[in-house]
Amino acid sequence: MPDPLPREFAEALESSRHRLGRLGSPVVFFSTIESTNDIASASARAGDCEGAVVIADRQTAGRGRRGHAWFSPAGSGLYVSIVLTPARARVEGDRATTLLPLAAGVALAEAIDRMTALRVDIKWPNDLLVARRKLGGILAEAVSAPLAPAACEKLEPEAKLTPTGAARELNTVDTVVVGYGINVGPMAYPPELSDRATSLALELKRPVARAQLWVETLAAMSRRYEDLLEGRFDAILDAWRERAPASRGACVTWNTPEGLQAGVTEGIDSRGALLVRVGDCTERIVAGEINWL
Amino acid sequence: MDLDQLKQILDLVRDYGLSEFEIDHEGLRLKVRKDVAGVAPAASAAGSAPAIVAPLPTGSASAGSLAAAVQGTAEPTKPGDAEIELEVVKSPIVGTFYRSPEPGAPSFVDVGSTVKKGQVLCIIEAMKLMNEIDSEYDGEIVNIYVENGQPVQYGERLFAIRMR
Repeated sequence: MPDPLPREFAEALESSRHRLGRLGSPVVFFSTIESTNDIASASARAGDCEGAVVIADRQTAGRGRRGHAWFSPAGSGLYVSIVLTPARARVEGDRATTLLPLAAGVALAEAIDRMTALRVDIKWPNDLLVARRKLGGILAEAVSAPLAPAACEKLEPEAKLTPTGAARELNTVDTVVVGYGINVGPMAYPPELSDRATSLALELKRPVARAQLWVETLAAMSRRYEDLLEGRFDAILDAWRERAPASRGACVTWNTPEGLQAGVTEGIDSRGALLVRVGDCTERIVAGEINWL
Repeated sequence: MDLDQLKQILDLVRDYGLSEFEIDHEGLRLKVRKDVAGVAPAASAAGSAPAIVAPLPTGSASAGSLAAAVQGTAEPTKPGDAEIELEVVKSPIVGTFYRSPEPGAPSFVDVGSTVKKGQVLCIIEAMKLMNEIDSEYDGEIVNIYVENGQPVQYGERLFAIRMR
């Protein structure tokens, strides 16, 4: 069962409502939950709930990518999931969905920048790092959600043109749950994380108000989400490139079915894929583990 | 649409290595599909030539005769076998194929699993977005074409489902 939103969060939310656009209706708070993404995914599957926000004070089974746990002790971090439907973008809904993970990374870096002036680097596609230590992470999960009748009217007839293999029912929309964790307070990290993780308090040597940071992240997410919906993809890509110095000229390795490959990063393309120069060729990477040397 | 245009379509299907293609044009609905895992004997015998499955002429005489001509061109035997028995789920995106929600967790489905429309079959990760791929059919999984953790291309075969 959800708990009442703590007072400082409720006040921060109300004072910034005008900056949140479609986000924040509803906001569901849990003092302890296994994973905010699980709650948000279940809500998304049950119905059309664009803009819903799930936040927890503590996660007992916070998840990163592919089974990596996200260390989520009480009161020390922001653990948030947001339900979004970028497929409804005015143009190129599939591209908007593809770029959402990058847009989310940009938004979180901007929110932290605005609130603390701390410079956060983005590592492709959307890890948040300070001096190569992880400050925050994003896990996006797409589910097919039923559309409310009112929202069905917005569907373009072109929806019928999806390739046969990818055909979706006309009464569903691809919904994306964007979950993010940001290390805020001082944390007693497990030894295996201590040299790879950091927090805002550690970097700034002062406490940071979680409630205020939370609404800054929502406001920034809202801005970048509107960019996606309006087709302003270049604005997102440019902001991403500016905050991701290692996306150019860095040595990386990655696994392929043919074995380990190595190359030098050459930026991202218009759909956010990482370009890596290998000899005379440029590889286009969209998934998999990349090791930054 | 004339025979030349149809031939162009078939050439495109072959040249781009498409496993399935569907077009709805001026009352003629044409669906081209390649052999799936040898389940359709006629298609297997035809090697990699596109098999034409269940064209649906919708009334006009020319559409009907065109459909017949296309069947004759690429597939001399019964074209409907694969359509009735088997559907192939293909990857809608380029990414990494995962059979379970996370490492160590049970697979979403195995060969022999009964699946329902809307049930999650696998996850394909692209740009750190985990895309659940749902079944569009009620049936039984009879083949899984890709190993867990392998990259998949757009349109690549993932599962074969025997329809209920």
